Amino acid sequence: MKRTTLKALTLSTALAGLMAVSATAETNITFRFNDSEREEMRAALDEFEAANPDIKVELETISWKDSRDQFLRESAVGQGPDVVHIAFVWTQEMAEAQAVLPIEELQEYGALPNGFDDFIATDLTAYEGQHWGLPWSADTWAMVMRTDVLEEAGVAAPTTWDELLAASRTIKETTGKTGFAFPAAHQVWFPVNYYLWSNGAEFISADGNGGYDIGVSQDQLAAAMGYFKTYIDEGLAPKSILSIDQPHDPALMQALLDGDQAFAAMPTNTYRQLLGAYEETNPGQPLPFQSTVMMAGDSAPLTHLGGRTLVVNSNTDEPEAAWKLVQFLASAPLFEKYYTNQFPAQKTLLSQIEYRDEEMGFAKQLADHTRTWGAYAESGVGVGPLWNVTSRAFGTALSGQTSLDQAAADLLGEINRMLDQ
Amino acid sequence: MKLSPLMRDRMTVFAMLFPTFLVLVGFYLYPTLYNLELSFTDITLLKLRQGGDWVGLANYWEFLTSSSSFHIAFNTIFWLTAVSVTIRMILGLGFALLLNSNVLRNMRMTTIARLILLVPWATPPVVAVIAWRWLFEPTNGPLNRWLLNFGLIDDPIAFTADLATVWPSIVTIVVWNTTPLIGVSLLASLQTVPGELYEAGEIDGANRFQMFRFVTLPYLMPTISVLTLMSVIWTFNNFVYVWLTTGAGPGTYTNVLATEVYLKAFVDLRIGYSAAIGVTMAIVMGVFGALYFRFFGLSDMQDKVG
Repeated sequence: MKRTTLKALTLSTALAGLMAVSATAETNITFRFNDSEREEMRAALDEFEAANPDIKVELETISWKDSRDQFLRESAVGQGPDVVHIAFVWTQEMAEAQAVLPIEELQEYGALPNGFDDFIATDLTAYEGQHWGLPWSADTWAMVMRTDVLEEAGVAAPTTWDELLAASRTIKETTGKTGFAFPAAHQVWFPVNYYLWSNGAEFISADGNGGYDIGVSQDQLAAAMGYFKTYIDEGLAPKSILSIDQPHDPALMQALLDGDQAFAAMPTNTYRQLLGAYEETNPGQPLPFQSTVMMAGDSAPLTHLGGRTLVVNSNTDEPEAAWKLVQFLASAPLFEKYYTNQFPAQKTLLSQIEYRDEEMGFAKQLADHTRTWGAYAESGVGVGPLWNVTSRAFGTALSGQTSLDQAAADLLGEINRMLDQ
Repeated sequence: MKLSPLMRDRMTVFAMLFPTFLVLVGFYLYPTLYNLELSFTDITLLKLRQGGDWVGLANYWEFLTSSSSFHIAFNTIFWLTAVSVTIRMILGLGFALLLNSNVLRNMRMTTIARLILLVPWATPPVVAVIAWRWLFEPTNGPLNRWLLNFGLIDDPIAFTADLATVWPSIVTIVVWNTTPLIGVSLLASLQTVPGELYEAGEIDGANRFQMFRFVTLPYLMPTISVLTLMSVIWTFNNFVYVWLTTGAGPGTYTNVLATEVYLKAFVDLRIGYSAAIGVTMAIVMGVFGALYFRFFGLSDMQDKVG
């Protein structure tokens, strides 16, 4: 009896020991993901863990607004998540800060199925001869129109900025509704750039001699500020847009859902969320939305080719597991089953997308009317800092805090200072 | 060598204070000196690993001569600090007098009134700002709905986006959230005023205002002085209310020194420049504190109340 007990004890001790060894052999990594599809991403990670039982992934989220600074602070002191979800335009900054590992080094743990060249916008991830992030999802902004409001006001779909303003005035006069409303705080950056680009200007451009210069005059800038200010001054859009940061702000989304607003500019995922929300509240009803390419100015419409990049923290103790996760996140099934609001940043996968009728504007925009931030990033100024000073300057002009000329002059002064540095 | 009793006492005091001294050096003095060092460099968030280059007083010069400095200083000193502290001191005193009055006592409302007063104070500033932002909301906010329903306005007011209303809105939130502390502190002081002084005042024929002016107020002055100093320093350095309510906007209209520190450090990534603003703020508050105590010194306060 005693011997049996001893055997049982020895066996259970050995089993416990084995379990402990297997527990310590497990690799734990953290993935920081900042989009709203948290539940879907957790389900995707569960699938990844099932396929890789030795890797456990903790999913964490912080707001997009804080994610860049937070990761830079963490990486500087040897901390931070193993895999991070960042914006395209931050990749070079992260490389400069030595916060991330180069893709060339990571590919030693396993090649990408269609190669790195299959990814789009890889120039945005290049820094000092290497690539520092894997383009993950691609997006751009396009126009969204509420067709029933246009019909009610007897207005045709506008194609230029001037027509958009005229249509907004007509809609206000005939229906009392809002025509075009936009986030006039932090993300006014996007419509402002689209306006400038379609009128042959840009904040920074290459000077042809390997240097960079300001690509917009004070008058052009003041005119752009004046254009957007008209919507607020004439009451075509509510004054509250001055404090709206994002295109998916509930106030803007609700106005579109309720049919109180005719036009908006937004990125792909926001539009898909808008369509989903409408379908949920109006099951079986035809969708009163249509997407079109961005407004044109003197020249053709242009929006930015944006998106997300996946980067691996240079402080990670588990680069192999982190790379495995990155490869999984960039695979086709993830976009088909879990991350469905986003377009993959891979040529092969992009060519396989079947767009809904309501999404054709986005498809056309993405295919024919996008550009990268180009000189903004290449000049060394960086998209982030340029974005911040631009949003603030437009805020001062749009709110009436300063005159258009003064705000334009201040902004050009700031850009000059950044170019000098 | 045998130590004298006085020396032994001093050694004991030193030994007992030494751990606190170490904590202060580690958690206060070192970060302060490090911040000072950063302010003389051009370090950015992108260069944290490499470190910045020494630029001397360039950051201070740039900040003090920048076109936005006056606007930021005015917002901080006038709107955020002077207006909000003045309103909260007056309201706090009013609440304290009301809570100490016989009116509430006769209505048996003293306890409930004190509890109600404490609710805003017990609300974390973040929650307070979120709640008020909802109240101020232009399309569905209750405040706009009430004003529209009562016919007081024709169109909703964008309280936190309109230049005419944005500062009053921020001040409202600050005052709502912080006045109870003033009220409760002054109430505690009020309850220590000796009843004989009022009796003497009555015998001398003093009216209510004279009682307040010559009996109550002098007794409250030490508390008022300390609360004012604390409120000024705390408000001057406060970041939460402005940042969460407006993000320093619209544009930069409500930018204050604390939000400028944040914007420069974590939005424009200029840690060195931001540190220089922080040091400037500390110097301003240090000078203010010294002057304040010179004119309203604690010993004088004690003298006033005998």
